[in-house]
Amino acid sequence: MRNTESRAPFGLLTRRQCVAGLAGAWLGAATLPARGASQPRVACLEWTAAEMIISLGIEPLAVADTKGYRDWVVGPGLSAGCLDLGSRGEPNLELLLELKPDLIIGAYGYGLDQGPFARIAPLHTVPFYDGTDTPYRQAETETRKLGEKLGREAEAEELIRQTATAISEARVRLAGKEGRPLAVVSMFDDRHVRVYGRGSLLQDVFDRVGITNAWTGKTDSWGFSTMGIEELVAIGEARLVSLDPIPPHIRIRIEQSTLWANLPCVKAGNVTTIPPVWPFGGLASAARFATLLAQA
Amino acid sequence: MQAAGKTTMPGRRDWPLLLLVCVPALLAACLTLTGLLRLLPAELWWHAIGAPDLTDPRQLLYRHAALPRIAISLLAGAALGLAGTLLQQVLRNPLAEPTTIGTNAGASIALTVATLYAPWTLEHGREWVALAGGAVATLAVFELSRGRRFSPIAIIIAGLVISLTCNSAGALLMAINREYTQELFIWQTGSLIQNGDTATFRLLPWLIVAGIAALFLIRPLRLLDLSDESTTSLGASPVTMRLAGTGVAVALSAAVVAAVGVISFVALAAPALVKLAGARTFRQRMIWAPLAGASMLWLTDRAVQVLPFASEIPAGTATAFLGAPLLLLLLPKLRTMPERQEVMPSLHRRNAWLFLLPALTAMAVLVWAVLAVGYDGSGWRWASGAGLSELLPLRAPRVAVSLAAGVMLAIAGTLMQRMTGNPMAAPEVLGISGGASLGVLVFFVLSSSLDRSAMLAAAFAGALASLAIVAPIGNRRALAPDRLLLAGVAMATMASAFSAVVLASGDPRLDTLLAWLSGSTYRATTADALVAATTAIVPLMIVPFLARWLEILPLGDAAACGLGLRLDRVRVILLVLVSIPTAVATLVIGPLSFVGLMAPHLARMLGFQRALPQLFASAILGGLILVCADWAGRMLIFPWQIPAGLIAALVGGPYFMFLMAKRR
Repeated sequence: MRNTESRAPFGLLTRRQCVAGLAGAWLGAATLPARGASQPRVACLEWTAAEMIISLGIEPLAVADTKGYRDWVVGPGLSAGCLDLGSRGEPNLELLLELKPDLIIGAYGYGLDQGPFARIAPLHTVPFYDGTDTPYRQAETETRKLGEKLGREAEAEELIRQTATAISEARVRLAGKEGRPLAVVSMFDDRHVRVYGRGSLLQDVFDRVGITNAWTGKTDSWGFSTMGIEELVAIGEARLVSLDPIPPHIRIRIEQSTLWANLPCVKAGNVTTIPPVWPFGGLASAARFATLLAQA
Repeated sequence: MQAAGKTTMPGRRDWPLLLLVCVPALLAACLTLTGLLRLLPAELWWHAIGAPDLTDPRQLLYRHAALPRIAISLLAGAALGLAGTLLQQVLRNPLAEPTTIGTNAGASIALTVATLYAPWTLEHGREWVALAGGAVATLAVFELSRGRRFSPIAIIIAGLVISLTCNSAGALLMAINREYTQELFIWQTGSLIQNGDTATFRLLPWLIVAGIAALFLIRPLRLLDLSDESTTSLGASPVTMRLAGTGVAVALSAAVVAAVGVISFVALAAPALVKLAGARTFRQRMIWAPLAGASMLWLTDRAVQVLPFASEIPAGTATAFLGAPLLLLLLPKLRTMPERQEVMPSLHRRNAWLFLLPALTAMAVLVWAVLAVGYDGSGWRWASGAGLSELLPLRAPRVAVSLAAGVMLAIAGTLMQRMTGNPMAAPEVLGISGGASLGVLVFFVLSSSLDRSAMLAAAFAGALASLAIVAPIGNRRALAPDRLLLAGVAMATMASAFSAVVLASGDPRLDTLLAWLSGSTYRATTADALVAATTAIVPLMIVPFLARWLEILPLGDAAACGLGLRLDRVRVILLVLVSIPTAVATLVIGPLSFVGLMAPHLARMLGFQRALPQLFASAILGGLILVCADWAGRMLIFPWQIPAGLIAALVGGPYFMFLMAKRR
């Protein structure tokens, strides 16, 4: 079974070592370790939270579905010693209880009841996609809040600055290229694409690097829409960027598709594939997307 | 021969058939024409088929999306109509079709496994993988129903069990491969969106070959209208004929599943409707049903394109919604065989009450053990003292909920089996679980929150609604047991079709929904545990007053009437007693698990024959089964967790099959 692999990292750290580490860590304080102190022990219930704290310079103690993170989020990289908490839908509470992290970070929208987590350790929730602000601005706000919470205010400001820099660098590089509109999609099968538009983090990056999103159609509250590939006719000869990973057998079927082969954007040779970017991520994902876009 | 002569020329008596095929086809044609006109001016239509100018997006969409979509809807519809007609003739069963006899579920699970673990097998086309899976599942269904001489009910129930088992295995695979299965979610819904003519040209040869084979089968299969004895005396082998007919039907449905996913009910509806419209002979149905199937699927697929929804409803889901009520309407037409089952013999009778105390003690020990023993990735540990009191808030609600749910399902199962006299009865097939799922899914679509108590309320509303729909159907003949089961099948099918749409939406809240659908206790709260425990205990206190009914009912309707039971009233009371615990169990542990089926059987096999001892013993066993399933689910792939309902279903499905196979 595929997921047995994801348990492997656990072998690197036995329970006893965890408990020993725990004894060394300080406990029971009102605030979390200040800057310069030892690394706070943070557990993340899903990937966006993990991405955020890694980019604040903290190695998460445990993350839900570590294999999935390595396949779909990729950067910033997860350390090899990071424990797997099980699925994002059901992070393992007993393991969390045993690890006794200093902080548990979850995210809005996964439908997890906060109670059991809050009883184990202080719980911080990242309220992404709650409709109060655009994802990028919300990512900035949340990064600051998280920085405050973890005593990493300076790192948070640095991350916000770095992301802005990465985006403006991408803007410069992209300005040198032809200013074609661009659509970004994930391909899950050979007949449908998930296209990102209004309300998505990727749209915010588009706006900041000065690219027009070729897809202007309706999107759901997470900023994407799943549709038949024939609707890609609407983007004409715009550039089409597809996010990896695409399973090999799907790639083969896409190549067999006569509709795909004759789409204006495909015919004009305007399709590029870029490495995985987590479209529901935070600032690091935004910067990663901008950089990959500029390189593509 | 007389009838055959009539069908060669459409006569006056064929006008209902013509209407049946032509009205949907004309409607579909109108919708298609308006759609195509909006896409491309009519003067270019002919030209754009053979030599389209593909730099013109309109012609590209016309030639490589719109036309293939029409073609595939016609081909798939015809293939399904043909498959359904063959199966219904071969099995002498008006409800036989690739969904109800398990073929589609087998093809789906084969494709799921192949996609996740051996994608290279799909590189040369999915048809063969689908065919292998569909054939194995169908064979299993036949093997299971052989003991009951392929009676219609036996086949449908075997098909349901195979489907449920395949679906729970599929759900498990998807739950532990969450981000990798988007493709499968989309494909499962049966969308006819096309990306070129590849799929059409892959399906076409299958349909042609199967069509020719079917042509040769018309004469021999017509003999099956006679009894097997007469067929044999005419020098034909009914077994060979059945195998050939089924083989063609399975190949057709596997090809459709591979091409576009599961399209439910067309294969059921097309032959049924042409029969209603007057196609009395098999030969007539073989001609008209594929035509009707093609026009129905064409119309459905055009209709979903003009419906004013935010995102298009896949054709396969639409047909499931249209077809499930049709199945319910057809039920009264089904001649149910009088299948009063003899009670399964057990080795010895026990003085039941003597065993209750040790059983309760065993239960207490086991509950304590699963509370205390855990696995943490590096080894087993036995928690006690402070460690245990820390773990208890995490483990106790889960153990309590699974225990109570097991008890409730076991009570419901025992009551149902006693009431219907049918040892295959189980609350999972009553449709209440399906109704509760529908309630939660509708709530999920309409609301953006995931409030636990609102979800519970929605599930309860769904359970009650399905009871309101299902009960009157069974009621027409004093709640005839078999009808009730089949009405449940229809509800379950609708629920699974609807869940496929929601799952395909890609909503990131899906994890919660998937967990619930597969029977997880992860989100069990103390409140859940209290509600579940209360609902489990109350029926146990009521049932002793009904013991006499439960002893008499399995003897059959005549005996029960003779002994002075007012059957309809008794059945309504028992139905309510069955549905409340089923609904609550569905709410707290999800719609799947065969506990309601397994526990009463195990109790009887252990020698608890009389009504009350059987009820209490099966309640204890049911609780133990789910407690063990939940515990195993928490340990097996730690730190990942397998939902208790899935483990129970993966054990229970095969157990059910074993039972069916044994009853020869």
